[in-house]
Amino acid sequence: MSRRTFPQREERHDDTLAFICRFTDRRTGGPYAPRGRHAIFRLKLAPLSATLLLAGCSGPHNWLSGAGREAMRIEALFWPLLIGAGLIWTAVMTLAVVAYRTAEKGGTERQVRAYVVWGGVVFPAVVLTGLLATGLLTLRGIAAQPAAHTVAVDGEQWWWRVRYEGPEGPVVSANEIRLPRGETVRFELTSDDVIHSFWAPAIGGKMDLIPGRTTQLTLTPEKTGSWGGICAEFCGSAHAQMLFRLVVMEPEAYARWLADEARPAQATGPGLEVFLDEGCGACHSIRGTKAQGPVGPDLTHFAGRETLGAGIRPVSRTALRNWIRYPEAIKPGVRMPGYPDMPDARLDRLVDYLMALK
Amino acid sequence: MRYPRLIDDRSIWIMVAPSVIWAAHFLLCYWIAAIWCAKEAADGSAPLQPVTWTVAGVTLVALGLIWALARHAWGRYGGSLFITRTIADDRAQERKHFLGHVALLLCALHTLAVIFTALPVLVFDRCW
Ligand code: HEC
Ligand SMILES: [Cu+2]
Repeated sequence: MSRRTFPQREERHDDTLAFICRFTDRRTGGPYAPRGRHAIFRLKLAPLSATLLLAGCSGPHNWLSGAGREAMRIEALFWPLLIGAGLIWTAVMTLAVVAYRTAEKGGTERQVRAYVVWGGVVFPAVVLTGLLATGLLTLRGIAAQPAAHTVAVDGEQWWWRVRYEGPEGPVVSANEIRLPRGETVRFELTSDDVIHSFWAPAIGGKMDLIPGRTTQLTLTPEKTGSWGGICAEFCGSAHAQMLFRLVVMEPEAYARWLADEARPAQATGPGLEVFLDEGCGACHSIRGTKAQGPVGPDLTHFAGRETLGAGIRPVSRTALRNWIRYPEAIKPGVRMPGYPDMPDARLDRLVDYLMALK
Repeated sequence: MRYPRLIDDRSIWIMVAPSVIWAAHFLLCYWIAAIWCAKEAADGSAPLQPVTWTVAGVTLVALGLIWALARHAWGRYGGSLFITRTIADDRAQERKHFLGHVALLLCALHTLAVIFTALPVLVFDRCW
């Protein structure tokens, strides 16, 4: 029986095949064996791309950090899937190479049929059924559960309105959500403009915020810290700048913080007059003052938050000055007017006041 | 005038029918669950049992129809799930066998697909 003749180099138009052949021909010295040093250069790039890939695996958005029960359920699905997919891929590729390289054997009719029936029908059917079942069970595990706390989150272009159920009524805040560690929290998600999506990868999610509906999501954070959240559904020009913080605290600290957050603003000073004079109060609320605007983020405890402008700048004097003067330069399309002509002295007083709103 | 039966010897419709049954079953399940959850369980707490039972019923009907088609493809078309020779002749009899063979394969595929569609009601007991 003769060894099958291979198509010559010119005839191999298929890239994948050529790629496979490069490896098989390496040993046999076939027409696709790598020549010169370029194969080595190729290998040198491997560590670099691995580093780039792994760089995505740390930090406040890392969904493999075990910081939330729901994220861990997805992680538990991820590893077996990854390994399984890797094994199947390797097996199929090995088979392809072997099938392509080995000489033909006689009497393979029944073998081929067995391959098709077992490998092409039974195996995929069983694997897919298993995947569907585990996927559904995972989904049931992360769907909304009864919870100890409720937090209402309203998506706005391009920031997040947050409402806690405090012991003495609702507590309104923005762009930063604090949660007690180890306790299940139900999020009630709404939107009054376009569809947004609430996602804190390290803890769990995501879930869409749909105008005219209330969607639900439960999260159970397991590690204290300051985690990242993002809007995961394109919602307009500043979508990529619609972030939030998820701060997980020990339950006692959380209770104390919530009680503080429920109190009206403590700061006083000449800056409040500037705030009211400039008309900021038409859009922003500062509880305990005349400023009761419902349009923008509640600023009652603004300086107690970690970020400004929905997660895109730290809360600092410089960032705040720039934000008030040129918000459009920081967040294109922002729904807040700039105040480029405000005299420095006035701006200083305003910033003093806002930075005291702990 | 007497119309011919839609699915009979040599009619090609037997190849379309299993997919149509699957699609109809899919849509029905979707509608049943969506309407129930929108109307009855607006707060998400109502049980899903009525949906579970209805979907189970619809699924049995769909599987029954596919089974009937499979018997048809096997009996009247002389199709078989596995063929041992090439069906290539340009003859009425050959075409019939070919249609039967393909219809049987499609019936097997759509049996699985219909079960996949119905699986979620076994797992979930609330609208969300
Ligand atoms: C037309 C309504 C409007 C007016 C007037 C307005 N703002 Fe805003 N402001 C907004 C909106 C909307 C946002 C949210 C922007 C975003 O992040 O997309 C915002 C955001 C802010 C933030 C950031 C809040 C946070 O937690 O991220 C601060 C601080 C702020 N405004 C201060 C001011 C001050 C000071 C004035 C007056 C000089 C003012 N705003 C006037 C609508 C307004
Ligand atoms: Cu968005």
